[in-house]
Amino acid sequence: MIRTAGYILAVLFSLPIIAGLLGSVLPAFGLLPPLAATEGFTELFADPRFWPSIFLSLKTAVIATLLALSLTMLTLVCAHGTRLWRWLNGLLPPLLAVPHAAIAVGLLFLIAPSGWFVRLFSPSITGWERPPTAWVVPDSGGWSLILGLVIKETPFLLLAAAAQLPAVKVDAALRIGRTLGYAPARCWSRLILPQLYPRIRLTLLIILAFNLSVVDMAILLGPGNPPTFSVLLLSLVNDPGSRAVASAGALVLAAGVGLVFLSTFMLEKLISYLAARRRESGHRGNALPVWRGLAQGVVIGGLLLSVLAIVTLLIWSFARRWRFPNILPTEWTMQHWGSRLGEFASPLFTTLTLALFTMIFAIVAAIIWLEAERQNKLPKIDWIWYVPLLVPQVTLLFGWQAMALLTGTDGKWLSVAYSHWVYAIPYVVLILAVAWRELDPNWNNAASVLGAGYWRVLFRVRLPLMIKPVCQAAAVALAVSVAQYLPTLLLGAGRHQTIAIELVTSFGGVDRRVIAVLASVQSVLPLIAFVLALWIPVYFKVKRPA
Amino acid sequence: MYPLRVEDLTLQLPDGTYLSRELSFVIEPGDILVLMGPSGSGKSTVLSWLTGTLDKRIRASGEVWLGETRLYDVAVEKRKLGLMLQQDYLFPHMSVGQNLKFGLRGGSKAEREARVTESLESAGLAGMTDRDPMTLSGGQRARVSLLRTLLSEPCALLLDEPFSRLDVTLREQIREFTWRSAADLPILLVTHDDADIPAQASILNMTELGE
Repeated sequence: MIRTAGYILAVLFSLPIIAGLLGSVLPAFGLLPPLAATEGFTELFADPRFWPSIFLSLKTAVIATLLALSLTMLTLVCAHGTRLWRWLNGLLPPLLAVPHAAIAVGLLFLIAPSGWFVRLFSPSITGWERPPTAWVVPDSGGWSLILGLVIKETPFLLLAAAAQLPAVKVDAALRIGRTLGYAPARCWSRLILPQLYPRIRLTLLIILAFNLSVVDMAILLGPGNPPTFSVLLLSLVNDPGSRAVASAGALVLAAGVGLVFLSTFMLEKLISYLAARRRESGHRGNALPVWRGLAQGVVIGGLLLSVLAIVTLLIWSFARRWRFPNILPTEWTMQHWGSRLGEFASPLFTTLTLALFTMIFAIVAAIIWLEAERQNKLPKIDWIWYVPLLVPQVTLLFGWQAMALLTGTDGKWLSVAYSHWVYAIPYVVLILAVAWRELDPNWNNAASVLGAGYWRVLFRVRLPLMIKPVCQAAAVALAVSVAQYLPTLLLGAGRHQTIAIELVTSFGGVDRRVIAVLASVQSVLPLIAFVLALWIPVYFKVKRPA
Repeated sequence: MYPLRVEDLTLQLPDGTYLSRELSFVIEPGDILVLMGPSGSGKSTVLSWLTGTLDKRIRASGEVWLGETRLYDVAVEKRKLGLMLQQDYLFPHMSVGQNLKFGLRGGSKAEREARVTESLESAGLAGMTDRDPMTLSGGQRARVSLLRTLLSEPCALLLDEPFSRLDVTLREQIREFTWRSAADLPILLVTHDDADIPAQASILNMTELGE
């Protein structure tokens, strides 16, 4: 039975991915007459916005990914083993839970000419009584978007790297390296990072693919003319006559992601060759406490930026009167929360129902999959979970939407929930897989020899022992669902308003305080889930008899 | 070569338990001192303190000297104390030769190549320069690990149960190889196995030093 369930799950997961890819390929070549009867590449390449937006996407994605990788490495080298490292371990999961769109709004409130940073130094230092006009946010160069991507993706990469540190025996490597005479930074660069990088490569590629195709953050923080390539494609797909062009663009984007991956592999080979040559030189290097201090300052600065972005959101959501250059509002109010929450009740309800559906079905599906895998009842195809994370959302969802239009399933609540499930389950499987594979099989054996059957062992022994990772995975599933913008927009056909949709579509046209309320609500939901994920295992442990 | 001298070493765990009180010893070059005791008695903690990698939660006081150099405020990497642990920790992203070159200090490229070849030959591992460490046997790995430590030109050798993971026949070979290769260094050996103790060694029992 578990084998059949595993296969059904694989089909349910793969079906929209295959349909999505087909749904992008066929219209691009004019092979889906009801939606697109002519190929779209000629028109796409003739669009004057094509090359500038491609260049902008490449620039923002590559620079943001490189900066996130550099910051991660810097944090590991300068903070590992210190008090700062312990703080980071506590702070990163909640920061990671905050959706991209909410962070983007918070960042805008910080770095805009009328933002908190300028207010902190005005007029005392800057002399500005009015917001300066020297820069605008979002800027035309895409630097605001780069900053947003860096502060959102660095915690993700850092957590992935931290999880791999025990596998590369970091403490022993540092100890051996240092007793051989190498400075700590050299131990990291020559012993630990070369072993660590292959273990975080996949996460890095996921981040790179995401950065190249991100839509919600690019709408909020990216320039408008031209926009990033994925935002340009979104505007095309919404135009009924441009399906072929949009699909062609989605394929170009997927090919672009593939080319960037290939370039990454080639760059890796080059760096690996050069690093191997340097390793053999035997140069020990010197410990540089000043640099270490500076690096720690950079890490703390980055962390502070993320925290301040969230704090600014909260302050704006309670502000009645907050004129420039006041650092804090001169009048506070609960009115935005009270009056607007009624307005947002429907999107909030939709968000919550979608998130609960996604969470429950992702957890059940992941458990089925991992149980089938544990019993060797499935072929080795766990790579399929990475496909939706590595293929640009735009490519997959344009096609999925096309197929939904043809089959009349677009705009249905279940279609939206299905898409959330497809994007949440990879994370849930990846989180649970570690715990599932590490659990000592003797727990099973001990219960079985006492006469417990399969289901009793699963529900009374395995799952209670796994409650912590199961709760964490559930919180992640909820956070992923709450943050989904593009799947909800495209498959919901505008009929299912969630907080994410409200936030992005209202931005720019609605009062800053209302936007702050929306972004705060979007941040609070996953944070509550993470708090519960911490609390539930503790609660059940207390209740369990000694 | 210089003697390794420890004066009045006191180690106290966060719960107040003493692992050692005012422990003092001197190891002359060519001598071997064995720290014995059961698991948890603090043998490895003494080595961590000597190398400067002691867990910050453990309270420690005392002095360590290498010849006339006081090591108290010398960085780990400058202490010149060679360390071998239970596991060989050959770096898996480097070949055998690259692992040895990582230990070597200075020299031209040709000199470094020559020293690696020479040291591998001396250990009966000729021709293994380009081998992946993962493909070596336990005994071969142990010898490469010791060679790497010795090529870094340490002034003393600290051994934390380096033979415990080897099988009985290999142990004898590797022990002999170790004593022979580091014959002119002061050696501090941590073990709980009587068979590891060479005839000429002095013995300190950790259980008599703590609480």
